[in-house]
Amino acid sequence: MITVKNLVKRYGKITALDDVSLNFDNSKVTAIMGENGAGKSTLLKICAGILPFDSGSVTVEDFSIAKNPIKAREQIGYLPEMPEMYNQITGREFLFYIASLRKLKNAEKKINQITNTIGINNFLDYEIGTYSKGMKQKISITTSIMHNPKNLLLDEPVYGLDPLTSRKIQDFIKSKKQTTVIATHSTQLVESVADYVYIIMHGRIIIYEDVSKLIKEYGNIEDAYFHIKDEKENV
Amino acid sequence: MFDTTKIILKNNSRDIFSKIKESPILYGFFSFLMIISILVFAFLTYFILTFETKINIKIEDVFFMVVFSFFVKSAYDFYRYYINSQELKYALSTHIDQKKTVSEVFLSVFTTNLFVWFVFSILYLVFLSAFKIDVYDPVLYLIFNLGIIVSICLGCTISINFFSPKRIRLIPTIILILFYLITRDPLYVVLTLPVAILHIIWSIKNSINSYQYIRRKERTRDRNQIKIRSRIKAIFNREITILWRDRLIFSFIFTSAGAGFGSGYLYLYGDEIFIPESLQNFYGDFLPSLFIFMGVMIVVTYTSVFPALNLFLNEEKTLWIIRHIPIKNDTLIYGKTSALILCFITSIPFIAYISIFIGIEHIFFVIWFLIFSYIAGAIISIPLGVKYVGKKSDIMLLYSVTMILFVVLGIFSTISTMILQNNPYALPIMLFIIFVELFVLFICLKISSKMLELKYPSTA
Repeated sequence: MITVKNLVKRYGKITALDDVSLNFDNSKVTAIMGENGAGKSTLLKICAGILPFDSGSVTVEDFSIAKNPIKAREQIGYLPEMPEMYNQITGREFLFYIASLRKLKNAEKKINQITNTIGINNFLDYEIGTYSKGMKQKISITTSIMHNPKNLLLDEPVYGLDPLTSRKIQDFIKSKKQTTVIATHSTQLVESVADYVYIIMHGRIIIYEDVSKLIKEYGNIEDAYFHIKDEKENV
Repeated sequence: MFDTTKIILKNNSRDIFSKIKESPILYGFFSFLMIISILVFAFLTYFILTFETKINIKIEDVFFMVVFSFFVKSAYDFYRYYINSQELKYALSTHIDQKKTVSEVFLSVFTTNLFVWFVFSILYLVFLSAFKIDVYDPVLYLIFNLGIIVSICLGCTISINFFSPKRIRLIPTIILILFYLITRDPLYVVLTLPVAILHIIWSIKNSINSYQYIRRKERTRDRNQIKIRSRIKAIFNREITILWRDRLIFSFIFTSAGAGFGSGYLYLYGDEIFIPESLQNFYGDFLPSLFIFMGVMIVVTYTSVFPALNLFLNEEKTLWIIRHIPIKNDTLIYGKTSALILCFITSIPFIAYISIFIGIEHIFFVIWFLIFSYIAGAIISIPLGVKYVGKKSDIMLLYSVTMILFVVLGIFSTISTMILQNNPYALPIMLFIIFVELFVLFICLKISSKMLELKYPSTA
């Protein structure tokens, strides 16, 4: 479970997140939607302990990300939007490096299992520098889930992936029993995997709703998104 | 057409302009230093031509020095834009014909280096004219230009063929270099221009066997060595793997050996070469130790300051990895810093070569001074690297650290020489100083670890 209270994040004069408070509940998949620059990735980065913030608080499984970052990070798996890795080492070397840093037991078995599932096992001995965007995404997904974290933060998880892998990732997210947060532009992904959705506009949360309720009311998430967004903009 | 060339050239110019925008004072200073360096070279030329010294530098020597510089620069540029290019890596690892792309990469290296040559040479000639030296010699300038073209072609062939499965293709380049060494005549270099052009065309034709295939085979072969390690060992192992695969280790070794040989030679013959006979009595004692000092500075800058800074600066886009992993900053810093041990080992050739010239009685002090300088380099560089972690690797930061180190070591070497000369307790004092320095390094690592922490509000 991740709890965010009165979070403010500024980049110079620009306020990326303005007094944001929210909860990511246990065993639920929550999607965060919003325009480019709305603050989705910033929110995920802060929850993952990558970015500091200006005021407010973030706790992961009751561990404060500011006061107890190591314990908080242990509970998190994070997939960035643009997963840049060390280009000179191979995918296998990178996965074992991360597994070593996380002190993972049965690392080889877990790595083989995940990489087989998402279809990157045949490319593990290639240098990461030679990977396409999708391959990097697959390696990064493996690092985010191999320690079986209680909370999973995924920034555009299926962007750049082939349809088959995208389907596999979606099935995986649905099958998970842990807290999962997805920042995405894909309304199809939200409909397919999310239980709840937050819509962010200019660093503020404009709505938090049950996905099935939105679909019932508006027909689909895309229409719901535009309707709610227009409504708030007019206000 | 020429899309790759355009992209490379645009990227280069954008990179320079964005850096100038980011830190105009630093880059203004840097440009000023470049102009001053050319002015110094022009002044040295004027000095050698006007005053009687024992320096016997011929135009052939200058020619070969310039040609060699561009040979090395072209080889490195080609390595950067082709062999080690992140943008081209994926395309190069496929079976798609690369001849067009590689030709365009060559064209960008060619254009950039010729541009650099024209700017520098014209500036140099302008300064020479200011010293009232007659510079009108179009034939000589043409010979220099053609020599530069030969060196760019051969430099690129080195990069293509060294990183290919058939290194035997390097033979024409090696034969040409040997030919130049034997003949020692710029005209012969110019005459081999058609051969150099043919060789680069042939090399580009065969560039399909890029080193990516070799590296991939190597990686598959090295698979058995991949295992779970302790955290510090894992970080250490990753750092040295990158140093090894970037071929930096070899470059460190060659630099150390070269600096050892060069400074050792100058230690013995430097004052005879550089100082007019009438002035030698005034400078005789000062210059030899200065040459050793400069040798140590070169080795330390390249094998300590440069890797220590880049240990952190290179985390530019990969910062998310170290930030989201639940490890202490101390562990990360110790792991990264331990990789410097390997870099220190590469400075051993410096000791080996310099001992040939300075004799065994002084070598102990030189080893001690090298260790001292090496640790001092790490003490200055690591906190600065941490301070700018996530920023792009910058030549100006390296330059600034080197200048700080130069001043610190300059002062310290003078003081230590005074203290240690004819002192019966020299050895314990030296050991004590190293011990104190290691303690300072430890404190520095602790401070760096604190600096790496994210700054949260106190109420969070």
